Amino acid sequence: MKPAPFAYHVPNTIDEALAILGNDPDGSRLLAGGQSLVPMLNLRLANFDNLIDINHISGLDHIRIESDSLVIGALTRQYDVAHNDDVRNRLPVLSNALAHIAHTAISNRGTIVGSLCHADPAAELPAVLTAVGGELVVQSAAGTRTIRANDFFNSSFTTAINPNEVATEVRFDLAGGTSGWSFEEVARRHGDFALVGVVIQMTLEKNAISDVRIVVFGVAATPQRITDAEKRLIGQTLNDATLDQAVADVAAALSPPDDIHATAQYRRHVAGVLVRRGLLRALEDANSSA
Amino acid sequence: MDKVTSAVRLPKDRSIRKGKWIGARVQRVEDPRFLTGSAKYVADLTLPRMVHAVFVRSPHAHAYIVSIDKSVLPGLGKTAFAFTGEDMREVPALIDVVTLETLLKTPQHSLALGKVRFAGEAVAIVAHADRYIAEDLAELLGQAIEYDILDPVPDVAAASKTDAALLHPDIGTNEVYRETETHGDIDGAFKAADQSFSLRFHHNRYEAAPMETRGVLANYERPDSQLTVWSSTQMPHFLGSIISGKLGLPAQRVRVIAPEVGGGFGQKMCTSPEEIVVPWVALQLGRPVRWIEDRREHLLSATHAKEQYVNLDVAVKNDGKILGIKGEFIGDGGGYSFNTESALIEPALAAKAFPGPYRLECYEETVAASLTNKSPAAAYRGVGWTASNAAREIVIDEIARGLDIDPADMRRMNMLDADELPYKSITGQIYDSGSYKESLDKALDAIDYPAFRAEQQRLRGEGRYTGVGISCYVEQTAWGSDSSAQAGTPLPSHDNSTVTMDPGGKVTIGTSVSGHGQGHETSLAQVAADGLGIDIADVRVLHGDTLTSPYGLGTYASRSAVIGGATVARAAADVREQVLRVAGKLFEASPEDLLIEDGIISVAGAPSLSKTMEEVAFAAYWDGGLRDEEPGENHQPLLSSTRFYDPPATYSNGCVVVLTEVDTDTGVVKLDRVVVVEDCGTVINPMIVDGQVHGAIMQGIGGALLEHLIYDADGQPLTTTYMDYLVPTAMGMPNMEVHHLETPSPFSIGGIKGMGEGGQVAAPAAVANAVADALAPFGARITHFPLSPDNVLRMIGKIA
Repeated sequence: MKPAPFAYHVPNTIDEALAILGNDPDGSRLLAGGQSLVPMLNLRLANFDNLIDINHISGLDHIRIESDSLVIGALTRQYDVAHNDDVRNRLPVLSNALAHIAHTAISNRGTIVGSLCHADPAAELPAVLTAVGGELVVQSAAGTRTIRANDFFNSSFTTAINPNEVATEVRFDLAGGTSGWSFEEVARRHGDFALVGVVIQMTLEKNAISDVRIVVFGVAATPQRITDAEKRLIGQTLNDATLDQAVADVAAALSPPDDIHATAQYRRHVAGVLVRRGLLRALEDANSSA
Repeated sequence: MDKVTSAVRLPKDRSIRKGKWIGARVQRVEDPRFLTGSAKYVADLTLPRMVHAVFVRSPHAHAYIVSIDKSVLPGLGKTAFAFTGEDMREVPALIDVVTLETLLKTPQHSLALGKVRFAGEAVAIVAHADRYIAEDLAELLGQAIEYDILDPVPDVAAASKTDAALLHPDIGTNEVYRETETHGDIDGAFKAADQSFSLRFHHNRYEAAPMETRGVLANYERPDSQLTVWSSTQMPHFLGSIISGKLGLPAQRVRVIAPEVGGGFGQKMCTSPEEIVVPWVALQLGRPVRWIEDRREHLLSATHAKEQYVNLDVAVKNDGKILGIKGEFIGDGGGYSFNTESALIEPALAAKAFPGPYRLECYEETVAASLTNKSPAAAYRGVGWTASNAAREIVIDEIARGLDIDPADMRRMNMLDADELPYKSITGQIYDSGSYKESLDKALDAIDYPAFRAEQQRLRGEGRYTGVGISCYVEQTAWGSDSSAQAGTPLPSHDNSTVTMDPGGKVTIGTSVSGHGQGHETSLAQVAADGLGIDIADVRVLHGDTLTSPYGLGTYASRSAVIGGATVARAAADVREQVLRVAGKLFEASPEDLLIEDGIISVAGAPSLSKTMEEVAFAAYWDGGLRDEEPGENHQPLLSSTRFYDPPATYSNGCVVVLTEVDTDTGVVKLDRVVVVEDCGTVINPMIVDGQVHGAIMQGIGGALLEHLIYDADGQPLTTTYMDYLVPTAMGMPNMEVHHLETPSPFSIGGIKGMGEGGQVAAPAAVANAVADALAPFGARITHFPLSPDNVLRMIGKIA
């Protein structure tokens, strides 16, 4: 299980990396944690002429709170984020999601930004970013731009980043007010990709839902927001009728795939189960934060 | 069927000297090198001028090989080397040695010749000094092979269709065996029954998944005509014999070494085709050749196990008494009836072991096997018995539910009492001794069964579904001539150990049982230490090298404690006698009056007269005056003995109880507690026994909940990485407790029984029964493994 030949580049600055990338954007790939890329290379499921290892570039490993954002650098490891107190206090849904991702040996190397850019449809982090909102900061020789979460995930393993761009950090929005969250998933084993998962962020005003984002993952090419349910829940409280309606909206919105781990029927059914549970937990969390 | 009194041929002296070591929780002496990462496996071995071999494997399930164009390889014959099935045409094919008249044979060429029969079958081998380049070459050669694709035969049902493609057209069928054998008045049993119950059960296909994949390094030294093969094998001597036969080399010129072996579990028994190809290439090149299997390759092409269709019909009285059972056991042999024990390895062993700890007086067993386009089925811990035990224990629970009898009471009613043993089962298995009811009771006591039932009722009121699953087992062990005959696949057996004390009074053991993680270097040292009255630190155990170990069959089928223990005990007893003879002369005392304790030999009643083992051994070697004037057979000045043992079958037993809670909205099964009661007779090292239980139970849980080798309708394997083939991890280990009962075997030396497999035999049914019990309010029935969340929601009708 050895990869096909490739050229290995180890730039020390982002400009060097961008220069190498600019020479052959389509035939190059960036290596950060390598926890998905390296197995794909070794299985020869992916072949690139140039592998650009960005691990020696300084200034990409940070966790910062900036006004209404949690900012995480492109080389910050998942383990460090999972065990960071600022993250735990200000964006607990992220800490919680990370507890479901892989095992320590993997999270010691794997990065948050790398997972977002890999855009596996069954991965947790793209769903968290979609639910809480935020943006990716990407850089190319032409300059820096940001891509909002809702515009970032195009399809399975495909994002809005151009081949000549490097993602340098992710900025998660930090919710204010009376807000709560929940994270639910079913996986075959601890640490596996989800068969189906749900991330919910909810804000309350005067005991009614003023804002809610319901994201289901593992059911489509990208994390799915259930916008019908979100709209209908605004101004509502949770009761049997509103929960049943939300579950019906979930079922109507999804046409999940079959695979060897679960059927489409399973995913659709359990997405509804998890949305019901997740809404109640997010409400409980919001109430306890009030 | 019968109480047995004199059916077993017993050795004259079955005693074993038991002192401070046997039965003690001795730390394993081999662990420092495992835990520090300094143990050396095949992949750690390199030789000068070595080339790396990579197999080119078929991407198709079923196809003719039209052509292979080696000329595409740059440097062919200079830096790049490639060989095909045509090149190896003269090497005899691998074939099983099971002697059943109606069993059809399907010889397997080590590299496919003319035809491929499963995706992943080795078609060619390439070699290069650089492993990376070797893989590039393999990819290149793979693209230069032309196939003529045939219709696939993806499963047993497809295999038996009248228009099915034939894997082996020369035998005219895909079904290599089907026979029915009847014991007792089975029709009468069904006539006399109040009711009958049926189970149609598909046991999943899964595999050993050892942490170390397969690997072979071969070196042929032309000046000496000497072939040395390092292989991750459980049977070095046997592999040496096979290689010698297939490659036409004199046996004394073939040395096989099993260095550290990172798990075998039966998969590394007998002969992988790759274990013939790699030495053959070494012979052609005159250079060392190493092949290390990668994980994807392993999941594609290492042998599979456990898949069976088990169909049961059970005649019962309304009080739960079982009158008779008809069982049909159908194996899916994969592409070849493999050399380990043919495609019958699963169904034949399943049928014979099926009665388990129960009194079964009428039994009809049908055994069948078909070939399909999958990697072949071979041995894996609990061969045949896992599916058999699962089906039996599941149907017992179904009958209990149907008759409204407690599942524990249902078992007790049909279970053999300890005083009925020895007992010859209706299939001819002679259960030497056991504690069937005692182990069931002990397991249920451990969980406070009545309290669990009360709590279960209370939780159901809250919409929570907990369950208890019971699985009782009898485990055939001590695989020698006797065990293999009773298992239904007779094979001769031969094993030995040599115990030698050197002039320094220290002991080296060479043994034919070959450890691969079991802790033989500790447990056999314990036996020798007690036999000789010395410390285990003064004993070294050598195994796994045909040059340093006497001939024998290695380690599989829970044989090594019984056989290794007995051969070491008997050889150590000889050496003790030799030591005491010399010491007697030194002390001018009768050897019968001497004691050995902690390495000190003294005269009974006169403790001041003593010598160390070192002093006595030194004298034995160097003091010519002590030698017997007329040396007889056992009167050599040498302190050494080699002893043979071919044991009678012994049968361990036990009970596994699992407590679960099932989320009926998501189908997720949570294991709250696993209680294991095991009885393997005399225990040499309880810590090693616990470790065997832990590992076997986890493999059984993996089979029940996670592991499944899936092929699509075209015969393409879909589980080719550990993302898709799900093995249980340490994170998924439930609370597990192991309790011991100790009923020594009246047949074996020292009363030792084997015990490596019971956990995997019994755990799947315990999990399944716990899930079915939790879901009883929904009328759920277990029809197939694994019990994935999807499967569970289907069982209770939440999804259709």
